[in-house]
Amino acid sequence: MDHGPEVSDRLVKALQWVWLGGAFVLVGGIILWIVHLILTAWTLGDVPSASIGISIVAIPIFLVFMGVVFYVFWGVALRGDRRER
Amino acid sequence: MADAGDPHEEILLAPIERTGPGFYWAVALLGVLIAWGAVAYWAQFTSGLGVTGLHQPVGWGFYVTNFVFFIGISHAGTLISAILRLSKAEWRRPITRMAEVITCMVIFIGAGQILVDLGRPDRIMNVIRHGRYQSPLLWDATSISAYLTASLTYLYLPMIPDIAILRDRLGKRKLLYSVLALGWTGTEHQQRVLNRAIAVMAVLVIPIAVSVHSVVSFVFSMTLQPSWHSTIFGPYFVVGAIFSGIAGLIVTMIIFRRAYRLHYYLKPIHFRYLGQLLLIMALLWFYFTFAEYLTGYYGAEPEELKVFWAKFSGPFWPFFWTMVLCNFAIPLLCLVNLKRHTVGKVLVASLSVLLGMWLERFIIVVPTLSLPRLPFPEGIYWPTWVEWGETAGSFGLFALFYLLFTKFFPIVSIWEIREGREMALREVEERIASYLPGGAEGES
Repeated sequence: MDHGPEVSDRLVKALQWVWLGGAFVLVGGIILWIVHLILTAWTLGDVPSASIGISIVAIPIFLVFMGVVFYVFWGVALRGDRRER
Repeated sequence: MADAGDPHEEILLAPIERTGPGFYWAVALLGVLIAWGAVAYWAQFTSGLGVTGLHQPVGWGFYVTNFVFFIGISHAGTLISAILRLSKAEWRRPITRMAEVITCMVIFIGAGQILVDLGRPDRIMNVIRHGRYQSPLLWDATSISAYLTASLTYLYLPMIPDIAILRDRLGKRKLLYSVLALGWTGTEHQQRVLNRAIAVMAVLVIPIAVSVHSVVSFVFSMTLQPSWHSTIFGPYFVVGAIFSGIAGLIVTMIIFRRAYRLHYYLKPIHFRYLGQLLLIMALLWFYFTFAEYLTGYYGAEPEELKVFWAKFSGPFWPFFWTMVLCNFAIPLLCLVNLKRHTVGKVLVASLSVLLGMWLERFIIVVPTLSLPRLPFPEGIYWPTWVEWGETAGSFGLFALFYLLFTKFFPIVSIWEIREGREMALREVEERIASYLPGGAEGES
């Protein structure tokens, strides 16, 4: 089977970092948005309630997602081959 | 894991390597639906929501019905895949990818319904900039964001070894596959890292999925509207979501089994097991529906009874009784005996459930708004061509996204099937031996 043209390793690595950065920007953006909403509630003097609790719980969940993605990137892309040599 | 190709794996790679006329016909057909949806949306965008059937007091119609329905379907992926993965159900292997893809595609379509329902899409910025957490709508936005992020991660991680297979074996899209494969070579360390991450995500994604549909129900149940203010709405919605999710998955499996000739991978026994799950969910759904309506009826609160009778024998009776027929009677008849004609029976039951669950969402949303508790004028809702078009376009868009996914990635997880062949048999034997009396673990 023709495997087509080989692609540059450096380009692939660079795009993988962009891919990881995109994931971090997405999750980080959502966390910033939630923080902004909590601050808005604080500024407006909203009654602290379960709703604020729900939003605060969401932040660690997103941080775990980021952690899992980074763990896979670290373990597979950065350390995956090296560990076996 | 070594690239020990099974000759049958060519079946899984064939749709990615070659494109037949069937694909173009399907895209053309879906394109017509999407074009209808686009024209309908353009008419609404330029003229306002007045061109729809939405008016006072019924401000939510097809769009919110579609939103709840699509978000419900999204439970197919998470709950089927994560629960079966965690419970080590070996028959899951050819199914999980299909289920996970449904989740990711459908959440986009479901969330998009709210944008369409806004009428003025620029107003979404108000939610982002000035949203207040006192509103369950904001809880919804947060939990759906979490669910989408979790589902995308949970879809992507098990795809990495398969993307590496595509990188090594296909001649096209080399750059895309090289980037997404993250340099996967199948070493033990890589496998260990990936398995650990998938296990974490499988555990995490289940409570998030449950929370999503609970929160969707809170949008209704936090109000004092008749038939909405209910404590069991959370679990009722979750059960309905899993129910429709399984049905959606079965229909998708049958379509792709036929279109991509996956009979070798998707066997009648998979449909029998999923059919049994569907039957259990049909019984659970009936129990929740019965409990919900019985308590409303027994309380005999006048405003509640008005909505109750509107559904049972009033203007909404055809929708209500069709829902009961589709969600309970037909599945029960089809699924109670699955020894023969399994695939056909399961398909009929699933299509019936999909229709029934859409009607269930409609029956929850519209009658209550037609007969509000506050002294607003009462009114009946009937959609215009705009809502029909947008609904057709949404289903078309979902199907097109799914179809395009299958042109880029294998719809059945290749490495999980290999792993099943190489390791699962021995593991299952050991596990069964440990359950039985007198086994190694039983003595301790």
